[in-house]
Amino acid sequence: MRSLLSLFSLLAFLFAAAVSALSTSGNRLLVILDDVAEKESYSKFLGDLESRGFQLSFESPKSESLALFHLGERRYDHVVFFPTKTKGLGPNLTPNILVDFMNANGNVLVTLTSGTAAPNSLVSLLTELEIQLPADRTNLVVDHFHYDAASAADTHDVLLLPPPTSVRPDIKNYFGAGAGKDDVLAFPRGVGAALGASELLTPILRAPRTAYSYNPKEQAEVVDDVFAAGEQLSLVSAFQARNSARLTLVGAAEMLQDKWFDVEVTKAGANKAAKTFNREFAKRVSGWTFNEIGVLRVNWIEHHLNEAGGNNESNPTIYRIKNDVKYTISLSEYVWTTWSLFTVPANDALQLEFSMLSPFHRLALTPSAAYTSAGESESGYSATFKLPDQHGIFNFKINYKRPFVSNVEEKNTVSVRHMAHDEWPRSFVISGAWPWITGVGVTVAGWLGFCALWMYSAPVGGKRAGSKKTQ
Amino acid sequence: MRFTQSIAPVLLLLTAGVAQAASAWGFDDGSLAVVAKKSGGTSKEKLSQKAPLSKPVSLGSTDTLKLLLTAKDNGKGKRPHQAFLVLQEPESGLEAPFPLTVKESGKAAVQISHKDLPVQLLAATKPLKASVVLASFGSAQGLNTPVFEVKIETDANAPPPTYEKPLRYGKQPEIHHTFGADPKSPPKVISLFFALAVAATLPALFISWVSLGGNLNHLSKAIGAAPLSHATFFGSIMAMEFVFFMYYTSWNLFQVLPVMGAVAAITVFSGTKALGEVQSRRLAGER
Repeated sequence: MRSLLSLFSLLAFLFAAAVSALSTSGNRLLVILDDVAEKESYSKFLGDLESRGFQLSFESPKSESLALFHLGERRYDHVVFFPTKTKGLGPNLTPNILVDFMNANGNVLVTLTSGTAAPNSLVSLLTELEIQLPADRTNLVVDHFHYDAASAADTHDVLLLPPPTSVRPDIKNYFGAGAGKDDVLAFPRGVGAALGASELLTPILRAPRTAYSYNPKEQAEVVDDVFAAGEQLSLVSAFQARNSARLTLVGAAEMLQDKWFDVEVTKAGANKAAKTFNREFAKRVSGWTFNEIGVLRVNWIEHHLNEAGGNNESNPTIYRIKNDVKYTISLSEYVWTTWSLFTVPANDALQLEFSMLSPFHRLALTPSAAYTSAGESESGYSATFKLPDQHGIFNFKINYKRPFVSNVEEKNTVSVRHMAHDEWPRSFVISGAWPWITGVGVTVAGWLGFCALWMYSAPVGGKRAGSKKTQ
Repeated sequence: MRFTQSIAPVLLLLTAGVAQAASAWGFDDGSLAVVAKKSGGTSKEKLSQKAPLSKPVSLGSTDTLKLLLTAKDNGKGKRPHQAFLVLQEPESGLEAPFPLTVKESGKAAVQISHKDLPVQLLAATKPLKASVVLASFGSAQGLNTPVFEVKIETDANAPPPTYEKPLRYGKQPEIHHTFGADPKSPPKVISLFFALAVAATLPALFISWVSLGGNLNHLSKAIGAAPLSHATFFGSIMAMEFVFFMYYTSWNLFQVLPVMGAVAAITVFSGTKALGEVQSRRLAGER
């Protein structure tokens, strides 16, 4: 019996371990394909997903049993769209349903390819997110300077790109970090998108400066009108909604196919063959989309009075103006399988706002070793500051929204009262009050003197009484 | 037959190699003209793919910039698939491509005026870098070379082009609250001087009373007549002042009120007696 129990607990532990090696937001993954047989060409990519713990379900958009919601709850946590030949995606995948899916924290990975027109439903969804696709939908991205000489010596439609660098100096490089110098990404026969000005959009992979997008049917001879060119063309783009739901657009579905995972490619003008970085890139792009990397968690928040001899109660609801206060937040970042320390990138800052309507203080939090857990999975950030000389209802506010990192928005409300009458300095400490205090003392002494005089003074001689009488 | 079979790939390779080595895109007869609409004057410059123009050209708000060139593949006029004039804003690196209209012969032209430029380039303070990109399918090497710089002259009368930077998530400038100034006291010397001046009024008052004939000569008489009530009455007046002093230093209102009540009651009871004695002295004509 005991051995059976221990076996059971071991199994439970193993199961827990397997579950922990998963995305932070569930493992039910729906793959939309025209034909289930097509999945053979993506077997490595899908196999990688399965080995990371995802449960894959395959559906064709025509299938009638396909539904993203069941009784108002999501049936899947993530959806992957591979290119489909149908013009629309049917009544089960309308743009509205897809937006609802994202509003319910579902993640979407969309792949396109130049050969087949993107379905209406996806184009509308992308337009809603300010991602613009070329009007004719079968545009092709070419670059006559950075192509694969081995497979596209004439057509130049297999772009070879260096692994992406970080978009901005203050953003961690989630997609190209650790890539070798010779590693190249192959982007075969893809569609480029133009991103709108939305702050929720970030390009993961931009086209090289000399690349451009054209319509192979109408502009075969010469390009008279460009949809977008150079770095304005985003080949792989990321969208993260305010609820941290993610959508990634991969312009070339072939990028994820087996044949481009381990193929040797030759840069135009170079003699050396190089291996593609596609497999690792596909892992990172899907991992980011499905909440396996770049996910932040707030473990706890604590603030207290930071004054010698003061009350050391945690998270009090009331402070006084000009109190010295210490605020600490503990954060973790999910990295593939575990929660680990979160470090703010070098040029970035985790900022705390102390605000009533508008911020009175906006301060950078500094990492504090004292609050970083021994298990190396929770990093503490703290700031000490003096509360403003304004009473009212204030918020400790953390609003950490960055590209590629899930949003952290935390608000803790406290009252800030004004000084009580007995918290001011005594009047004898204030030198300006000395004449007044002396005045009070003089009045008291004068009053006592007057009382004594009035009661005990004898008339001076008889003169005074006599003169009174004569009057 | 066998010989040709074996030599064919070699030959093919050789020719391919030669073609790759020799074939490259370039251009000839390049010229750049800025046509002013108002004056009709033009300024023309020759362009070369080898070196960019040394001085930046300026483009006014009503001017049109015309670029003409003949694209050549290996010295022969030909139409490339990609023929762009790319303008780059040097500070941000932002680029705008302008496709050239190319004829079969390779003759290409493009016209640019202010209304064609995106606002970010119009607002640029530094000269824009213009480069020509000529490239096409096949093995011919493409050309991507800087050719000139263009300075955007905005109309002094018109408002300068502005654009709002899109919102980007990132760190924001720090804010530190500016505290109001602490209350200040005048110099201590002045406070001390006036405090002493106020204190000096007390001896002045007593001295003037004494000089006017004030005295305490009836004290023994009063104590003799009603010792208990006089001591208690005067003591209760002093006690009331002491209560006020305690209120100032440490007591609160609820400690003060009962004590005050007790002292006041004592004052009333002892006062009737003591002041009765004073009255009897007045009636006796001793005051």
